[in-house]
Amino acid sequence: MLEISDLTVAYGGVVAVDAVSLSVAEGSITTVLGANGAGKTTLVRAISGLVRARRGSVRVAGTELMGRAPEAIARLGVAHVPEGHGIISEITVDENLRLGGLWRRGRADQRLAIDEAYELFPPLLARRHLHAASLSGGERQMLSIGRALAARPRVLLLDEPSLGLHAAVLAQIMTRLRALSRERSLAVLLIEQNARSALSIADDAVVLSQGAVVARNQAAQLAGDDALRHAYLGF
Amino acid sequence: MRALRAPRATALRHAAVLLPLAAVLVVVTYVFGAFTDYNIAGIAIYAIAAAGLTVLTGINGQLSLGHGALMAVGAYTTSLLLKEQPSLPFLLTLLAAIVVTGAAGGIIGIAAARLRGPYLAGATLALAVGLPQLAIHFGSVLGGNQGLNVAAPQPPAALGGDFPPERWLAWIAIAAALISLFLLANLVRGAAGRTLRAVHDNETAARLAGIDVARVQVLAFVVSAVCAGLAGSLFAYWVGITAPTGFGLQLSLQLLSAIVIGGLGSLTGAVVGAFVLVYLPVWTSGLASNLSLSSDVTNNLPLAVYGAVLVVTMLLFPRGIQGTAAAALSAGRRRLLNRRVNQRTSEVTT
Amino acid sequence: MRTFLILTVDGVTNGFIYAIVALALVMIWRATRVINYAQGAMGMFTTYIALYAISHGVTYWLAFVIALGAGFLLGAGIERVLVRPVESRPPLNIVILTLGLLILLEALAPMLFGGQVKSFPAPFSRIDLSIGTTQLYISPFDIFVVGAVLLTMVVLVLFFQRTTIGLRMRAAAFGPEISRLLGVRVGRMLTLGWGLAALLGALAGLLIAPAIFLYPNNMDEILVFGFTGAILGGLDSPVGAVVGAILVGLVLSYVGGYAGSDLETIGGLVILIAVLMIRPQGLFAAQRQRQA
Repeated sequence: MLEISDLTVAYGGVVAVDAVSLSVAEGSITTVLGANGAGKTTLVRAISGLVRARRGSVRVAGTELMGRAPEAIARLGVAHVPEGHGIISEITVDENLRLGGLWRRGRADQRLAIDEAYELFPPLLARRHLHAASLSGGERQMLSIGRALAARPRVLLLDEPSLGLHAAVLAQIMTRLRALSRERSLAVLLIEQNARSALSIADDAVVLSQGAVVARNQAAQLAGDDALRHAYLGF
Repeated sequence: MRALRAPRATALRHAAVLLPLAAVLVVVTYVFGAFTDYNIAGIAIYAIAAAGLTVLTGINGQLSLGHGALMAVGAYTTSLLLKEQPSLPFLLTLLAAIVVTGAAGGIIGIAAARLRGPYLAGATLALAVGLPQLAIHFGSVLGGNQGLNVAAPQPPAALGGDFPPERWLAWIAIAAALISLFLLANLVRGAAGRTLRAVHDNETAARLAGIDVARVQVLAFVVSAVCAGLAGSLFAYWVGITAPTGFGLQLSLQLLSAIVIGGLGSLTGAVVGAFVLVYLPVWTSGLASNLSLSSDVTNNLPLAVYGAVLVVTMLLFPRGIQGTAAAALSAGRRRLLNRRVNQRTSEVTT
Repeated sequence: MRTFLILTVDGVTNGFIYAIVALALVMIWRATRVINYAQGAMGMFTTYIALYAISHGVTYWLAFVIALGAGFLLGAGIERVLVRPVESRPPLNIVILTLGLLILLEALAPMLFGGQVKSFPAPFSRIDLSIGTTQLYISPFDIFVVGAVLLTMVVLVLFFQRTTIGLRMRAAAFGPEISRLLGVRVGRMLTLGWGLAALLGALAGLLIAPAIFLYPNNMDEILVFGFTGAILGGLDSPVGAVVGAILVGLVLSYVGGYAGSDLETIGGLVILIAVLMIRPQGLFAAQRQRQA
């Protein structure tokens, strides 16, 4: 579903993403791991179009994304949940969710998608008419993911969803995510610093260091590779 | 990164630029006629005000839309003194204007010390529109709408009986401008300049470094007000009449646009901007009268062109004239250096 | 007492007109972090267009609509062509750009339409009403002005809070990057915002012209008063803009009536400084300071 090939992003003389290639199949979760500054966030921003890549190609179901504006990429079915969740605090929870699915056809379909988000994350339902500023960290993350899902994307890009979350809430969200990915044939690219929780739900894993891929394997294998874990993942 | 030079060396460097410039300008005032002398005086006057505004807005980052009002304070101080005491020495009228306007700048600076960005802009905008109206309210003293007349300073007898007063005023204005620019240039290059810039770049960091930000903001206002006062005082002599219409919103906007077109944050840019401010309308009106268009068009063409120039410059030359020129120069220098390095390298490898 | 009533009615009616300008400024500020100093001049220019239409046989109401439409197109066009390229540059550049536009429009108007002061018609009588022998100090035109502004505000609220495109515009203003990730065409929303703001400016121009006549600089003071009102209320708050503008209208009216008309603007300035010294971000400033 998502095919990244030879993607390179450079700012001035600094190479942030170095010829990265990876692919994510429908219904599977690939996690991208690595230390701070390894280039993970830049990678995702290049996929969703917020950052211009110097070289390489990103395809979703065969359609090339490179060179398109972020809003065009979003309309091709790529949903990006940014680092720090990026909800819009000045509008309500319901409005945030509506925004997610706005460009899809049909009011009924949009409403359905929003209702699904509430089913998925019940705490949001109670706060639906409140300004998003009043949500807790975990609820914001839920809102962010729910909003991304309301667009019924084919590809879901999650950037560090664990930031600022309690372990319990995180686990809850991660389990739901895994189920969702299977149910909806979603291709999920999960960026994480918290390698442990990411490896527990991912199918495949890729490790970045200084912008380049240094390891790739099935998640279970990687989790079992002590040397690698110590070197790049800190545990 | 410019190396930090010793203050004496900096002052000498500045003098080395300004003194020959003075000589050139003196020659120019002899070669061309009274109209040119008049325009040169105008450029010098606007340059003083613009240079002061550069320190406040360009370097210290406080946006003022009201410096026309400060020029009015200087002009009215001088005009009022002359009205009461026509025989007052010329320099004294300038000095009085400087002091009064500097004090006004201090008051405004204190009132505005906590304001930032558009809030400061709005307050100074209200000042620009409201202050000149005081002259109408206190019409009996300040001359109301007709204004106060100001006699041009007469050249000293030593220069000969037929020395044109326009040239004398031009000389005075040039001298005032060069002295002001000299002092400001030393200020800007020195520790004070660095402090001004530091507060502009990152207020929180500056505060943490122990800088009294409010004091710096007020001092910046005072410095710019002193310049505006001097310029306003000379402006009164230059125009010959001090009336509220001469100091409206337009003057404040002209000053601000001059420093941005010239090159924000650069004293050279302020002078360039002042030049554009004076000569663009001169050229445009010349053009308009040559084309003999209707009076509505002729009267408004200079302003229309000025407005268009502002828009186009911001679109195409965001760094202003001086900034673009400086960037082009350093790019050219770099290319030359690269070529030399490449030449040497190829010499070595062959 | 009688003076007080007259001044109050005047202050409120004028305040409502300043409120439209204030709303226009706040709208653009919230969306693009830019103060459009040319907002007043744009309203002046569209009023000239309306007068031109009227002098060529068009009815007042049709000219009214034409002016609003011209305003919308002017605002949208300016955003698309002039402001968009400069958005990412230092903020002072945009200030100079809008100031340049102000100067250009104020010079272009007399070049195209003639520079003499012109009178502009009012659609309703400007003579104060009276019931029997009691004077009411308010004219049919005053009622129209207040009504038109209130109607505009209601429409704006409904537009922004109840429509999809209103939601998109709010999202584009509050979270441009996120909105793009959600498929919102942020650029288009900004253009729309500028168009709407200019439409408001056009309305202000039409409503104030009968009283102060039409000449190239006639909106200068209106801009200053609208801006003052917006700042007084806090630039991020539309409610603040309206309250601030009406407050400005009242202060100007009282100062002008009791102290002298040349002290009006200074009076407004004093109130502005007084408020800002206590609350530098305005009366209705948001608790959470948004990143500029």
